Amino acid sequence: MNFVFLLQSFINGLSIGSVYAIFALGYTLVFSILGIINFAHGAVFTLGAYCTYALAVGDFGLNGLLAGMSLPFRLPFPLALLGGSLLAGGIGVLVERLAFRPLRAKGADPLLALVSSLGVALILVNCLQFLVGAEIYSFPSGIFGSLPPAMVFKMDGKVLAVRTVQIIILVVSLAMLLALAWFMNRTRMGKALQATAENPETASLLGINVDRYILSTFFISGALGGLSGTLIGASFGLAGPYFGVSYGLKGLAVIVLGGLGSIPGAVLGGLVIGLGEAFLPPDYSSMKEAVAFVMLFVILLARPQGLLGRQTIQKV
Amino acid sequence: MRPFIILLAGLFLANTALAEPVGNPIPVGIAVGQTTNVALFGEEQVNGAKVAEKLLNEKGGVGGTPIRLAFQDTGGDEAGAINAFQNLISRDKVVAIIGPTLSQQAFAANPIANQAKVPVVGPSNTAKGIAQIGEYVSRISAPMTLVAPNALKRALKLNPNVKNVAVVYAQDDAFNVSETGIFQEAIKSMGLNIATIQKTSVKDTDFTTQVTAILGAGVDMVVMSCLAADGGNMVKQLRQLGYEGIIVGGNGFNSPNMYPVCGQECTGVIVAQAYSPKADNAENKAFSAAFKDMFKKDPAQFSAQAYTSVKVVVDALNEVEKSSGKKVAEMDTAELRTALNAAIVSSSYDTPLGEIVLDADGEITQKTFYVSQIKVADDGKTGTMELLPE
Repeated sequence: MNFVFLLQSFINGLSIGSVYAIFALGYTLVFSILGIINFAHGAVFTLGAYCTYALAVGDFGLNGLLAGMSLPFRLPFPLALLGGSLLAGGIGVLVERLAFRPLRAKGADPLLALVSSLGVALILVNCLQFLVGAEIYSFPSGIFGSLPPAMVFKMDGKVLAVRTVQIIILVVSLAMLLALAWFMNRTRMGKALQATAENPETASLLGINVDRYILSTFFISGALGGLSGTLIGASFGLAGPYFGVSYGLKGLAVIVLGGLGSIPGAVLGGLVIGLGEAFLPPDYSSMKEAVAFVMLFVILLARPQGLLGRQTIQKV
Repeated sequence: MRPFIILLAGLFLANTALAEPVGNPIPVGIAVGQTTNVALFGEEQVNGAKVAEKLLNEKGGVGGTPIRLAFQDTGGDEAGAINAFQNLISRDKVVAIIGPTLSQQAFAANPIANQAKVPVVGPSNTAKGIAQIGEYVSRISAPMTLVAPNALKRALKLNPNVKNVAVVYAQDDAFNVSETGIFQEAIKSMGLNIATIQKTSVKDTDFTTQVTAILGAGVDMVVMSCLAADGGNMVKQLRQLGYEGIIVGGNGFNSPNMYPVCGQECTGVIVAQAYSPKADNAENKAFSAAFKDMFKKDPAQFSAQAYTSVKVVVDALNEVEKSSGKKVAEMDTAELRTALNAAIVSSSYDTPLGEIVLDADGEITQKTFYVSQIKVADDGKTGTMELLPE
């Protein structure tokens, strides 16, 4: 253990943790309004990454239905990121229409939507494999224009290295968090969303169109999922149509850790888990997936409501 | 009188159920992972098997009778493999099964085929003890004990001044752990110094910590035992963060999936291979030409191994037909399965992998291995592995 190693781990953790945070926010928004987990969020994450890839790179690979095809245009990465996130938002809306609204309209147990969202996730991911194959895609190295791929510093004989993509991830994620905070607290629509989350019946009595706000929530949640999928994909490549599954599970750990339904909680949970993983010595890297769940276990023993969750008081 | 007739009818039915002819075309089962994260490999295996079906049938199949491949998806887990095997055995009534993709699936599903006396040929199972699961189990995927030292020797030829080496391996993958053992022994016996050993996971994507440790150790060669996705990402990060020395990869790198993961940063990586699309033998030339024709790309090792598995089954079926003097399509399925298994083991085969020999246990001995250097095309997504001269 030395200072350079600690600093390196801190930078790595902050960067990956900030993506976990915006990804988990997608879960949190839906949970705070409907009180259920949207299990298709991991699939939206994956699809968002593929959408951005399609817009920025335009070529499809060697397997699947779209093999050998290419789009007639290429967008610069920032525009493709925006476009991919908006498309992912659209997919989020589709998930709501297919998996949530029909059940809500029939007054089914909210728990059932959990199963139907899982089903929609499976369908989406398998359609994706049918279209683009199971092969790995990754963004070409020149995607960030003339920026160098990395910065390497030498400090007392040790090496400190920061990849450009890590900085981009951090900056985009933080900007997204600030924008979301502003949206939720300063705009009419954000306040209406909060009101719907607080109590849908009352909100609807006050003239808020609850169905419309649920749809907007799914759109924002999907866009956040797609954005985080793209950022992870830009850093490590798109490792096949199933690469969102483990991030989906990790996102769940993040929101439970932070406190279900709490927005600052999701951010804190994401950073805690990202940093926890980064500080795991490389010799134990095969345990990385376990870190999130061990931390979850330990923290829930001490604080069952999560780090920033509200304790529900039942009045008898 | 009546019960007697029913009994008679029952006996008759039972008898016909027992003696079931194989049928034309001859059904051969392919049980590989076409969904979940194994699909990356399963897709390549399906492609290789399809080329085999086409090419071998064009060559006359089994004494003029074509074969028909029955595909069943195993997914990535043991339960999926067991289901696929059961479907192939009892519904598709296949004469042999090729699969599953993963070793741990093989340990779960192969005993079922063994009990049903259906021959299994493992196309990609490299763990210890696969061929020993039972009498009816063989494999054509070789462990990599010979090729690793060869790859190092070729690397030293490119740069004879190498002194300090970093070793990297994916600790959660049985194949890579055993391969790194072979690499490390070879490095020591060549008088080189192992400056650092870095462990990774096949699920890892961020290798900044390991890469900075390697950069800090000041090595001039990195020897990696990883799979394509994780290894490709690490090569990319090594190069992005400024490592300029030689990189040698094990057999996990022998996949076209390396190219899209690390793009131009892969160029120059030396790879130890159990199969090369450029291998100079007649079987491989026919296979890789047919493959390129069908899929517009070079075959991967998983494709070549799947092709080889089908070839082994078809060769053995021809052998059964020759030695028994009966048409296999008219033989009873159970009888053929037993005769086929006896023909598969203790034989040698000409395949795209070169000549391979299966011993009485069904364990493979492969004669030729290859060492190549990756060259990625300008598009950053495709490439070739150029054979390095001896």
